[in-house]
Amino acid sequence: MLRFVIRRLIVTLPLVLVVITLTWGLIRLAPGNFYASERALPAAVEQNIRVKYGLDQPWYVQYGRMLGNALRGDLGTSLQYEGRSVNEILARTIPVSAAVGFLAYGLALVVGVAAGTLAAVKQNSALDYTSMAVAMFGISLPNFVLGPLLVLLFSLTLYWLPPARWDGLPSRSMVLPVLTLSAVYMAYIARLARAGMLEVLRSDYIRTARAKGLDEKQVILRHAMRGGLLPVVSFSGPALAILITGTVVVERIFALPGVGNYFIQANLNRDEPLILGIVVFISIVVLFFNLLVDVAYGFIDPRVRY
Amino acid sequence: MRRGAAALTLIVSLLAAGCATPAAESEFFGKVDPPEGQVLRYITGSEPESLDPQFGTGQPEARIYMALYEGLTEYHPKTTLPIPAIAERWDVNEDSSEFVFHLRPTARWSNGDAITAHDFVYSFRRGLSPAFASRNAYMSYYILYARGYNEGGVFVRDPSSGRFVQRSEVSGESPLRLVLPGDEATRRQAIGADPALQKVTAGKQFVPIRAEDIGVEALDDHTLRITLTQGAPFFVGMTAHQFFRPVHRPTVEKFGVRWTDPEHIVTSGPFILKEWRPYDRLVVVANPMYWDAATVKLREIRFYPIEVQTTMLNLYKAGEVDAIYNHTVPPSWLPIIRGLKDYMDAPEIAIEYYGINTTKPPMDDLRVRKAFNMAIDKAALARFRVVAKPLTAFTPEGIFPGYPQPQGDGFDVSRARELLAEAGYRDATGNYDPGAFPTDQVELVYNTLEANRQVAEFVQAQWKQNLGITVPLRNMEFRTFLSERSNLNFKGFARAGWIGDYMDPYTFLELFAVPSPGTNNDSGWFDPKYVDMLSKANRTLDPMKRFEILAQAEAYMLEAQPIIPLLTRATDWMKKPYVKGMYPNPGTLHAWKFVYIEHDPAKWDYGVPALAD
Repeated sequence: MLRFVIRRLIVTLPLVLVVITLTWGLIRLAPGNFYASERALPAAVEQNIRVKYGLDQPWYVQYGRMLGNALRGDLGTSLQYEGRSVNEILARTIPVSAAVGFLAYGLALVVGVAAGTLAAVKQNSALDYTSMAVAMFGISLPNFVLGPLLVLLFSLTLYWLPPARWDGLPSRSMVLPVLTLSAVYMAYIARLARAGMLEVLRSDYIRTARAKGLDEKQVILRHAMRGGLLPVVSFSGPALAILITGTVVVERIFALPGVGNYFIQANLNRDEPLILGIVVFISIVVLFFNLLVDVAYGFIDPRVRY
Repeated sequence: MRRGAAALTLIVSLLAAGCATPAAESEFFGKVDPPEGQVLRYITGSEPESLDPQFGTGQPEARIYMALYEGLTEYHPKTTLPIPAIAERWDVNEDSSEFVFHLRPTARWSNGDAITAHDFVYSFRRGLSPAFASRNAYMSYYILYARGYNEGGVFVRDPSSGRFVQRSEVSGESPLRLVLPGDEATRRQAIGADPALQKVTAGKQFVPIRAEDIGVEALDDHTLRITLTQGAPFFVGMTAHQFFRPVHRPTVEKFGVRWTDPEHIVTSGPFILKEWRPYDRLVVVANPMYWDAATVKLREIRFYPIEVQTTMLNLYKAGEVDAIYNHTVPPSWLPIIRGLKDYMDAPEIAIEYYGINTTKPPMDDLRVRKAFNMAIDKAALARFRVVAKPLTAFTPEGIFPGYPQPQGDGFDVSRARELLAEAGYRDATGNYDPGAFPTDQVELVYNTLEANRQVAEFVQAQWKQNLGITVPLRNMEFRTFLSERSNLNFKGFARAGWIGDYMDPYTFLELFAVPSPGTNNDSGWFDPKYVDMLSKANRTLDPMKRFEILAQAEAYMLEAQPIIPLLTRATDWMKKPYVKGMYPNPGTLHAWKFVYIEHDPAKWDYGVPALAD
């Protein structure tokens, strides 16, 4: 197990380097630059800017310097936000994105697993059909539709909750973004849980458990769920990674000071260090959560051995 | 199925509620409960690039700087013309090339230090320093040798006598020193190409232009003299611009780029920084050290950086913010919002137009350019855009009092078709034939934005209907578009807009005073005669006479049709009726010290507050 983890970690570094290099190259390929605006700048002013940020040097010098700094953990200084380091921006934004992401995921997990399990246990009942219909609806309704609908109801009609902005945790401002974000995942998890449970409930070891005379609650909670929720676990890795690294649309709609909001703006602004920093952060989180899922498999599924 | 049905009912009732709201509610958009006390919550647009007034370039920053920093002058809350601020008065010499500002002895920094003329000298030199690389440095190029210093240029000096070579020794009449490029290769090339330069530079030294050489001097602690390279009667109006707002030298020198952090920052304006959480909020509170603290009524302003229009309006409607910045109401919302009493509609110092690439056929033919301009019904376009006025000239309509704005060609389809026939697009009988026009050599490019697409489609339809020509549309991501446009890499037409930097027609007309590419002149059209007319105007002392010459120059430029004027924009924003002292001025720049919250509904603004004094 430990050897497996170490092996995976060793692969991670080159992967991150490849991601950095690709991103860096793509930013270079995009036309335009960070200092362009609706009003053109005199050539001399542009030159001053290029010298100040080292853009007048050959590409390999710039690449080498960027890579060297990145390896030392210094992601550079934003080009758009004068004097603000990328590390500082990440340190401010990650907690917001992560808070919203974890809350949304927690909510999705609790509701999704409960609904999915119930639906599987009472297969083909009204409960099953209803919850799966709602789940289908949830999957089909994108968050940029659901978010505004929730805002329309709770903020602009009932005036219960603020329609946007972030007042920290806990606050009324977190309710709508978390709900919006969790809906799709809740629906997915419910369907995955149902499918997984249905399969497991028909398997031999469950029949054995029942034959032993175990009470049905015990059978489902202790035996069936452990195997039945494996699909949910493998879904959780990438899902969590996406959720906590900032969900672009929801952060935008609700004006949350999170990673996703910065990410869009950094791209529009051609803010190279910030784009790179966020990409590095996201790729590390994604790799880490995938690893975590693989490790979790070892614990949950007795068939998996490392 | 009960839950599904319930969800459906919920959605339906939700939509019904949404549609019913504007009609059911009052004459305002959403809640109108004033906040407790004197607190203003304002959406100013994107996250500020920096709190350094000489660094940040945008309008969102400008509005924040107006709270934190005060300049020699401030923008009038109604007209945006300059009013005394740190300078209590100023004198101008007779050709408007030298300005002496008399500073208020009572002006203080937020830490209690006196604000002196030396602070301004320091700030202007800093803003122009090449290493600082301010994007706004060009704003001060009217100041003597400012451009040379910012570009790293050199003077030419006789090593024996120490005398500087004058520009007049090379060409024309000018009392100024000769300035050459600082980069040796470029300089050698320039000298090599010009025999007159070779003569005057032979055996001379090249001396780098220093910060001390620029035309800004402190005559004493409270007197600042600014010398310009040319007459610029509008210069006082420019001194309210953020680039000319002073910074506190000891703080800047001690903390470097971090001097704007809330724990270090020292400012000069009516408010001081209390809290700055990027992409979340920037809170300023009244500055007790401010010289005019008695006038300041607001105790606190919370600036929220938000970029999504619907989010802004949601916050506004829910009563979470009290006012929002300009161009924020989405076009599709206008039918509902335009009739409400908290909608701020007024003409703006901003225009929209299409630049024409005059360097490529068929647009290198004046007749073709004129035809495409005449074939657009701009009145219909303005009605379509709802909050705009039709424009046939290049300066915005109704913004500069007393300016005899010329009119460009009007809507005239038959003349347009004649012109195209004359330009060679005709059949055997000599009649106009749209089939002869090379549609594949023109296109209309714009940066991706809903409003830009709507206008482009409207214009495309006009051309199709009136000329029978279908010009292809192409949209591009903003920064890509900017580089294509300023390098004249487009064929045909490119969307453009311009917001004036100061209240004078020259802020529009100067766009064509420099050649393309790489400048704001996105047409390739450049005519020295036009430039001469502009400089003649700026040397003219009588303001009305000057306006006349500027108007002649504008008419001359319109005659060459390097652009297609489309619209004068409108301010298009909202404020709650209880926010007073805030006006839809032409720049949407609010002098915050005059703004306050009125708790008595009898004194609220029911409609756009009067802009006349």
